[in-house]
Amino acid sequence: MEKEVLITALKKIVKPYIQDEEAFENLSENTDFIKDLKINSANLVDVILDVEDEFDIIVDNESMEKMLTVKAALEIIETKLSEK
Amino acid sequence: MIGNDLVDLKLAAKQSNWQRKGFLDKLFTPDEQGYILNSDNPFETVWLLWSMKESAYKAYLQTHNERFFAPKKLECNLISKNRGTVLINNVLFVTESEIGEAFIYTVAFTKNHENKFLTDCFRFEHLDFKNQQSQTYHKVLTAFANQLKFPVAQLKIEKNNQGVPQLFWGEMLLENSFSLTHHGNFGAFTIAF
Repeated sequence: MEKEVLITALKKIVKPYIQDEEAFENLSENTDFIKDLKINSANLVDVILDVEDEFDIIVDNESMEKMLTVKAALEIIETKLSEK
Repeated sequence: MIGNDLVDLKLAAKQSNWQRKGFLDKLFTPDEQGYILNSDNPFETVWLLWSMKESAYKAYLQTHNERFFAPKKLECNLISKNRGTVLINNVLFVTESEIGEAFIYTVAFTKNHENKFLTDCFRFEHLDFKNQQSQTYHKVLTAFANQLKFPVAQLKIEKNNQGVPQLFWGEMLLENSFSLTHHGNFGAFTIAF
């Protein structure tokens, strides 16, 4: 899947949980889920579960540990998709 | 080190569905899931354990400069309903929680700060995130001004690159450990002595 397509899909997933609209509008690879989008840390698990459902992948604990930014999320999704 | 975390229960019920498939498995160890499933009030226990984890993690981050999302590495142990411990990579935090109808509030501290901290909870009129953050900053700065005998106007809070708030007197970084939290209608701060 192309990166742009992935970012669009990820943007749709995080939308219900964000608390900073401006940061969401300007979302890029460098966006941090908690620091920038102000996603509640308990909702980060929902983002991860939604990513698992959307892409039909399993985000293991080790990958989850790093999943704090859009960049890290994209890398994890790409890796898991390529392993399928 | 000291950390705190507050969960507005009404908002938590709206924001998260703890019964969602995978939710408990991703956040809680088998022992912690045992506390939840054997509890008279599983919903309350979910958020009690979560506030313990968050508060301890916030204290831990003050001396470990790398963020991570690994809730199961923050291992909770309940000593009583309001008191417990959280172990993070061999660092032990004691937790004290206030469990109310409207919110759960936990303070986590290393043993050397036992009974040596100040904490305050308050209710907000507005739900705006930025507004709540600035109100919380103002409260903690006022408390520091009283404690340190500095004019409040000379104190400021800035977040470091990990998002951890730090206290400055003018341009000088002060080492005082403190923590801020706000969720829904409530906010709180804690300051270690």
